[in-house]
Amino acid sequence: MSLTQLRPAPPSPQRPTASAGKATLWWHRFDTRTVPYLLIAPFFVLFAIFGLFPLIFNAVVSLRHWRLDDADKTGWAGAENYSRLLTDADFWNALFNTFGIFILSTVPQLVLALLIANLLNHRLRGTTFWRVAVLLPYVTPVAASTLLFAMFFQTDSGMANWFLSLVGFGEENPLNWRAEKWSSWIAIATMVNWKWIGYNALLYLSAMQAIPRDVYEAAAVDGAGPQRQLWQITVPMIQPVVIFTVVLSTIGGLQLFNEPMLFDENPALANGGSDHQWQTIAQLIYQVGWRDYNLGYAAAMSWALFLIILVVAAINALLTRRFGGGR
Amino acid sequence: MKFVGRRALRAAAAGVAATLVIAGCSGQALEGGGDSEGGEGQITLKVNFFGDMGQEMIKERFEKANPNIKIALNSAEFNAHHEDLQKKLVAGSGAPDVAAVDEGFMVGLKNQADNFVNLLDHGLGSAESRYLPWKWKGSMSADGKQIGLGTDVGGLAMCYRTDLFKAAGLPTERDQVSALWPTWDAFIETGKKYTETSKKKFIDSGTNLFNPVLAQQPVGFYNEQEQLQMEGGPKVAFDVSMKAIDAGISANLVSFQPGWNQGFTGDKFAVLACPAWMLGHIQQTAPGTKGKWDIAAIPGGGGNWGGSWWTVPAQTKHAEAAAKFVDFATQPEQQIEVFKTVGNLPSQPALYKDPAVLDFKHEFMSNAPTGQIFAKTAESLQPQYLGKKNGKTRESVERVITQVQEGKLTTSDAWPKAVEEAGKAASS
Amino acid sequence: MSVVTSRAPQDTRGTWKTYLSLSVALLLSAFPLYWMFVIATSTDAALGKYPPVLIPSDQFMVNLREVFTLQNVYFAASLINSVIVATVVTASTLFFCSLAGFAFAKLRFKGRNPLMFVVILTLTVPNQLGVVALYILMGKLQWNGTLIAVIAPGLVSAFGVFYMRQFIDHAVPGELVEASRIDGASTMRVYWSIVLPAIRPALAVLGLLTFVATWNEFQWPLITLGGTEYPTSMVALSDLASGNFVIYRRVLAGAFVATVPLLLLLVLGGRQIVRGIMEGAVK
Repeated sequence: MSLTQLRPAPPSPQRPTASAGKATLWWHRFDTRTVPYLLIAPFFVLFAIFGLFPLIFNAVVSLRHWRLDDADKTGWAGAENYSRLLTDADFWNALFNTFGIFILSTVPQLVLALLIANLLNHRLRGTTFWRVAVLLPYVTPVAASTLLFAMFFQTDSGMANWFLSLVGFGEENPLNWRAEKWSSWIAIATMVNWKWIGYNALLYLSAMQAIPRDVYEAAAVDGAGPQRQLWQITVPMIQPVVIFTVVLSTIGGLQLFNEPMLFDENPALANGGSDHQWQTIAQLIYQVGWRDYNLGYAAAMSWALFLIILVVAAINALLTRRFGGGR
Repeated sequence: MKFVGRRALRAAAAGVAATLVIAGCSGQALEGGGDSEGGEGQITLKVNFFGDMGQEMIKERFEKANPNIKIALNSAEFNAHHEDLQKKLVAGSGAPDVAAVDEGFMVGLKNQADNFVNLLDHGLGSAESRYLPWKWKGSMSADGKQIGLGTDVGGLAMCYRTDLFKAAGLPTERDQVSALWPTWDAFIETGKKYTETSKKKFIDSGTNLFNPVLAQQPVGFYNEQEQLQMEGGPKVAFDVSMKAIDAGISANLVSFQPGWNQGFTGDKFAVLACPAWMLGHIQQTAPGTKGKWDIAAIPGGGGNWGGSWWTVPAQTKHAEAAAKFVDFATQPEQQIEVFKTVGNLPSQPALYKDPAVLDFKHEFMSNAPTGQIFAKTAESLQPQYLGKKNGKTRESVERVITQVQEGKLTTSDAWPKAVEEAGKAASS
Repeated sequence: MSVVTSRAPQDTRGTWKTYLSLSVALLLSAFPLYWMFVIATSTDAALGKYPPVLIPSDQFMVNLREVFTLQNVYFAASLINSVIVATVVTASTLFFCSLAGFAFAKLRFKGRNPLMFVVILTLTVPNQLGVVALYILMGKLQWNGTLIAVIAPGLVSAFGVFYMRQFIDHAVPGELVEASRIDGASTMRVYWSIVLPAIRPALAVLGLLTFVATWNEFQWPLITLGGTEYPTSMVALSDLASGNFVIYRRVLAGAFVATVPLLLLLVLGGRQIVRGIMEGAVK
């Protein structure tokens, strides 16, 4: 990831010959001084309006009363929305759920991605075929796959319970996956894992292929078999990418919305279960903002989530420096 | 790299600007709104509704009678429909030209009567004589604006499966079945007997006892001062549903969700509390059970659950046409047809005496005389005041009942939790 | 298994075990899609069966017709809407990001490096968190409930600028740009006749990734387009799955149809997508 590799600017083109007319000179100056800004302007303007402004304006909204059902309830709220957040059991519950699902989905996801990347990191017949094949889940629309999984995890005729019954579990009383925290978290984590394993495997694969061959040759002296080769050479060598994917999963995982939303048998309610057993923060923001019409409070939640993501990402950045710097 | 040819690429690059311009210009197509003009004087009314209100038939007839007006129907999930409407009323744009509103949300909306067209301004005041007085008042704001014309009322009865009753050795005749359960306690006892013999569950879910029992109470969640009154009617209704769950007669499904719908076809329950509008739902969900259902009296007698109005949000650009549609949809001819095809009971007492209603036999429901059955309950209705936050409150308490059904809460711990959740909903 | 090896894995031939494991992985990725098709072709009765059916039936057209004729869900329109949104967003992303990428890679102007740093910073901003304010903004613009509300925020992407800059930096020789400048070519001329032809592979990659991501977007479209007659296909799917009459065979027939365009893209442009991801594409 050469995110910060900024190269020096190329030399500027030679000035036109002195015989050029005034108009040409003006045109030349315009073309070299102004046009570059015009080229980058669309990005900055559009991003400012639809990316940056909402984020900042969100902070303003979070300090106000702002309701969708009552235009008269307006005005500054001070820290009211934030102090309410601290004592809101629903918020803490959602935060707990978000982290729980996050861990259940990140750890197996990255481990399995490593294993698959290691498989792909061989001389194979049909290299492209296998690489494309692991991307099937990635291109499947999350709404489509989640609706399928919602059916997969049904109590009475769901396939998950059928598999369980094959190994002797729950033949009499099939498991109601949506009823409890642990089971609903597993179901949702399964969907997230399914979708992202292949994608991460390709990220790892590209890092693995960048490992210099002599590293492996040197290790041959120790007599490392394929398994030890993977865990003792390959994985340490690609650690920066691993940390990078952890950061990515953090940002994605803490905003998890689609899967928990559509896992509900009545998605429109955004409840995340009868007792909010799997309601994530992003879902709660949707519910508070667009079902309870309390945009001010929803904005405060968004900002709180933003700060949480920043903190977690900062921790990850520290880890990156510590582990990545050793190389 | 064969994927994008050079030529195609250039064309694409050149086309971008053009595309954006087109996207901007055809803003009409992209933006829509309820007023897309097509042809001379041709207007389209956007009509939002939920469930089944006989809208297809009304649309067809209305378009025939008014060739210059097209109807665009748009349905959504029950809660989402109302919440979306509320959102758009305040946003000041995006609301449909005509919107159905259920009684559970009416009180909240009629407090914002300015967001609706006052139908009295469009000469619909004369419709008052058609209506049950409480239905007419139900959609009238405190300052005398009429924001909707009533469609149906949800007079209560109890639907039951004759085939399953027979197999369990219970009577199958309407009157005999009604005699089984004069009270809710007797109803639960009957359920126990059924479950014992058939080894099947009797009712679909606790929430479908809670709602009708609550509907029979003089005061519901809120009193007319908008104070939450959990210890009154809600407690009575909640206790009945807990008792039924404890008795082991509930299939513990969640109403209006996929598992529940499958329960209809899988014989997962034998009775279902039936407001008139539920008949439409049964027919659509389980067409295969035709002729296996019949209708008896509801325990406890009477009660109203649900029932709607057609309203015209003030944002409409076609208030006149929209009012015309509302008037048309609530005319006796249409209301009788909706009653016959869907089951919804009209809110116009004159129709209860109409032979078309009185003599009607509902083929799907074993030829039950639904006109007589529901008309009888409708006339004796005692309307209950429903608070502004009634919809949200009900959904919260229903979720607590679901938690009990999922085995996460004992029936004794459930009530405090229900009070807590209702309190949250009231202050949300 | 202690085969001593000195070879890098990428030089080792895959054994039958490698292929077997990969096949299992393939099966697990593909099975849900297969099963989606099975349900989409089944009758209600077949779906009520236990153990679940695993073989497609012949009701696909029936279910499909139901989905498309369902008034009120606007499924057919939603597919068109999704195509419009994804196409406009992709075209605009390619155009604006390649322009900006070109400027950052090959042109000299004041503040170039700080500005590029800002672009990289914005990469890390989780823009989902601005939805509340975005909704208010779109309300003021009267765009809520219109496709423009979904298109506008996607017109550019920081990742696109970054990706294009990296690619142009490597793929377009600086001398070539200089030479044509000396010949009197304007900046746009250089972009048009030197840069564009050289970055076709990158455009393909970025285009595919953008199209897939836009097609699959759900949260913001749901908020702004939910309950209107202009849903994207993801919103229409969620409508199919909400409501009082949820019929799974219908829902999954719809889901299958909404997935097919992306499967086609994967078949046609899989190589490019793989490449894009492996070159460090981030979501």
